[in-house]
Amino acid sequence: MTQRTRPAPQPAGPRRGEARARRLARYREGAVTFALVAPSVALYTVMTVVPVGVAIYISLTDWNGFSEAMFVGLDNYWHLFDDPNSTSAWYVTAIVAVTGTVLMIGGGLAYALLLKERSRTNSFFRTLAYYPHVISALILGYLWAAILGTNGAINSTLKQFGIGPVGFLFEENLALITLIGVIVWAGFGFNVVLFVAALQTVPAELLEAAAIDGATKRQINLRVVIPMIAPVVTVATVLNLIGLIRTYDLVVSLTGGGPAGATQTYSFVILARSFEGTKVGYATAQAVFLMVVSAVLALLVTAMRNRQDRAATS
Amino acid sequence: MGTLWRRACTAALAATTLVATATACGGGSEESSGSTTLRMIVNITPNLTEQYWKGLFAKYEQSHPGVKVNLELTGTISATAKLTQDLAAGDPPDVAQQITPTKDNATLFADLTGEAWTAETPLADQYAIDGKRYLVGVGSQIQSLVFYNKAAFAKAGLDATGIKTLDQFQDAMAKLKAAGYTPLQTAGQWVPGAQFSLLADSGVMTEDPDWILKRKDNQVTFAGSGYVKYFERYKGWIDQGYLDKSSLGVTYADGQTAFLDGKSAMYIMGSFFVPAADAAKKSDEIGVFTMPSDGAHPTGQVGNIANSYVVVNQSKHKAAAIDLVKWLVTDPAAIESQLAADGNLRKGFTYKMSSLGTEVQKILDAAPSLIVRSGPRQPIDGYSGELNTQVQSLFTGATAAKVAESLDKWWNSQR
Repeated sequence: MTQRTRPAPQPAGPRRGEARARRLARYREGAVTFALVAPSVALYTVMTVVPVGVAIYISLTDWNGFSEAMFVGLDNYWHLFDDPNSTSAWYVTAIVAVTGTVLMIGGGLAYALLLKERSRTNSFFRTLAYYPHVISALILGYLWAAILGTNGAINSTLKQFGIGPVGFLFEENLALITLIGVIVWAGFGFNVVLFVAALQTVPAELLEAAAIDGATKRQINLRVVIPMIAPVVTVATVLNLIGLIRTYDLVVSLTGGGPAGATQTYSFVILARSFEGTKVGYATAQAVFLMVVSAVLALLVTAMRNRQDRAATS
Repeated sequence: MGTLWRRACTAALAATTLVATATACGGGSEESSGSTTLRMIVNITPNLTEQYWKGLFAKYEQSHPGVKVNLELTGTISATAKLTQDLAAGDPPDVAQQITPTKDNATLFADLTGEAWTAETPLADQYAIDGKRYLVGVGSQIQSLVFYNKAAFAKAGLDATGIKTLDQFQDAMAKLKAAGYTPLQTAGQWVPGAQFSLLADSGVMTEDPDWILKRKDNQVTFAGSGYVKYFERYKGWIDQGYLDKSSLGVTYADGQTAFLDGKSAMYIMGSFFVPAADAAKKSDEIGVFTMPSDGAHPTGQVGNIANSYVVVNQSKHKAAAIDLVKWLVTDPAAIESQLAADGNLRKGFTYKMSSLGTEVQKILDAAPSLIVRSGPRQPIDGYSGELNTQVQSLFTGATAAKVAESLDKWWNSQR
């Protein structure tokens, strides 16, 4: 006969209490996390998710901004490829974005390398480079139009010597070059600030070691400094590229998209042609397409950078 | 944990309140102490300046205590685009100037047909949509005009009354060039397209008033119509230096100033140029003749309603808005002020006109017809912008045939 033994009774109260306390703590922690995150999520939802959702919906309609919107499926998106304004504007936008980014990154980097040491003179030149960035692009455009226009300051001066007028704003290719030049002038100061800040994080001992190993200044910059600040260059490239794809205000005030549409960027076409023509549905489809292209480009640049980083560390 | 919880709740509450407050502040229009504030979209031009509008509405506010009129300026976009933006933002104005309702958007505006006073306003029926009046105006403008520099014509030995055909117009330009003038003034921005339209439309549409209707039905094309002849002429004038290529780098205002300063000999523009000439005290030095053409002479005058107003249906103060519009288009002092400010005309109303203004009035009186591009005769949306781009491309090397073809391609691609 076996004797049945009952398990000794456990002290249930304290253990249950602990479990409840842990659950409560987890619940509170979750609630705190939720309370901290909720405002940001709400703001992001209201400011970004909802507008993008509404934009995508509008892009699938023929809404003209006034009357009842009719669902037209992907018609607006197909129209992107047979609209002469859209296709020529993409060509201009690509030139502006790629050339502008290369010049702004290259120029900004060169300028930052020149001014990386701390001194009053360098501070002055850094401020000088950044200064245009704090002025509205619209104002800068009008300012440069007054300088470069047919009756502007430069052409008026040249006229005194019997030269010109130079077609900064009335010859197709030159007007595009002028637009890119003003964009680069206005925007590269931002890159200078980013790059100078990044350069100051490069450890001095690394530079010393390279110098002791016999590296020249050029080699130190190319092989040590630039790779060290590569993540910042990537961020600047993405920001510049996306910013330039959306170029609008300088076009409005400097060239008005002319001459003959030679400086009409995609954003200009969306706002000054499609939206003005009350084709809100189509303009929104153009804007959604622009957003997708910007996102894809940003991802591509970041992916390329990551791939290079992995290759460098392997 | 308790403290953290309280802080988190406080932060969340503060953030939510901030968002809610910002949202509350952003929407709705406030009524202060029983007064009505009317919001009105107006276009600012060299003639109708912000200062002018403020002065005009100050008079209304004086005679209508309790009503305040706030200007909404369009900035770099058109009045229609501004209204579209405001509607999309759920914040429409009460009244808008210079917006022409179409069949698609007419329901957006108050139907003023029941207001007896609208019947007496200029071009009210020409702009009606399905017999309903949504738009009322102060006067009318005419646009098929060539202004000329009297001194330049005298120097070149020209008599403006002898210019009736395009060949005579071209010969005059050759003589003016030889006399040392830029024969025809243009500018950048919207000017080349508008000037070309003023030049060609009076000829093409006097011959065929239904041309736009036919283009909409694909019965005619730019490449296969009278427009090609005008594109060819215009291109020839550019090539011969009658139009200065560098003018594309000049603003509308600067182009006008160049003509007023006597640097160029002729300027194609609407009757709204007259106040600018008056303000510059150059009216007596400038003459005007009707647009030459290869067809009938004189041609019909392309014209339009001037200083037009619509009341937005969603207005929270519709009665007050209609009352303001009534005042703008029926009050004699308000009418005369607006006519004079923009060089517009209205039967039965006179204002102290310069010699140039009087000449324009004579051209209107002699015109066989007024060609109004409204209702179904209004070109498709975006046409004026595309025409401007294409006309500018004549300056940068495109051929007349290419421009006409591109314009047809663009028109056909629009849905």
